[in-house]
Amino acid sequence: MNNNVIDRSKDITILELLDRVLNKGVILTGDIVISVADIDLVYLGVKLMLSSVETMEQLKSGRSIST
Amino acid sequence: MEMMIYSIVSVKKNTKKLDALLAGIKGLSNTDLYVVTLDEIAAVVSDVNRADLIVDKSSAIEYAGVIETLAQQFTLLPVRYGSVMESTDTTKKMLERNYNEIQCNLLKVENKVEYGLKVFCDSEKLKTELKDKSETEPAIELEQGIEKSIYSKYLYKKLKEHRFEESLLAHIDAIIQNITTHLAQLNSIHRFKKMVTETTIIDVVILLKKNEKEGLIQAVKELQIQYTGLKFVLTGQWPPYNFVDITIK
Repeated sequence: MNNNVIDRSKDITILELLDRVLNKGVILTGDIVISVADIDLVYLGVKLMLSSVETMEQLKSGRSIST
Repeated sequence: MEMMIYSIVSVKKNTKKLDALLAGIKGLSNTDLYVVTLDEIAAVVSDVNRADLIVDKSSAIEYAGVIETLAQQFTLLPVRYGSVMESTDTTKKMLERNYNEIQCNLLKVENKVEYGLKVFCDSEKLKTELKDKSETEPAIELEQGIEKSIYSKYLYKKLKEHRFEESLLAHIDAIIQNITTHLAQLNSIHRFKKMVTETTIIDVVILLKKNEKEGLIQAVKELQIQYTGLKFVLTGQWPPYNFVDITIK
């Protein structure tokens, strides 16, 4: 199957998804926009970072992260 | 009432299809989704009470889910999570002010999807391999006149380290060059960052026509066969988060 090459690991997918939805896309600026709960978003970012480090460690040790 | 804005969609003056789709999905906290339309574009929004809004991981995933569902049927620009507009009126004015730029961005991503490719290496293993290789190369000759002293030993060690670092970077650059050449052949737009971490050689985002997915998969497969010591992780397809070059005022 060709699609085997696409990673379907839940951890990687969520990490990639959150990276995009929190950091990318159209950015609204100015007085028409109110940023939502900055502290929580930063906290979420830290959790993401930790998750990312764990993933890297898994890869480094050669363990499979695919489901 | 304030509103959460999820994405800006190309509707080409026909919102019926979009309305029908929105009737079947819900926004954050199970709210109804609706559109604020201006000519050929529409902002997909839901009412939000900031006091009741819980900002957490599952909420962000839910938000992304709405964008994902919309992207399956429409060309759109995803809006970053956490963007709240004051009212329908301000949303419409925002669309008006940025109409041309939004249309340009929509045109750029029309019928295209995003993929992510990360290439990981075992950096220690890679260093060991290169060190072994460097052992077989001619030894560094220090300039004449430098006495064989503790200083020359130090200098020799530093030169050797420098030479090794150079060969490591050259090796990684050659891999990156090969990967980007493969991607360039796909008629895609791609952007990359190299050596994001010690184990991530390259982090690429790729914008590709929807019907060219198989070509990308084949290219990644070939690269994986070529570099058995590396791990290629391809993700997608994603809405074009990384190819929206617009900051809305």
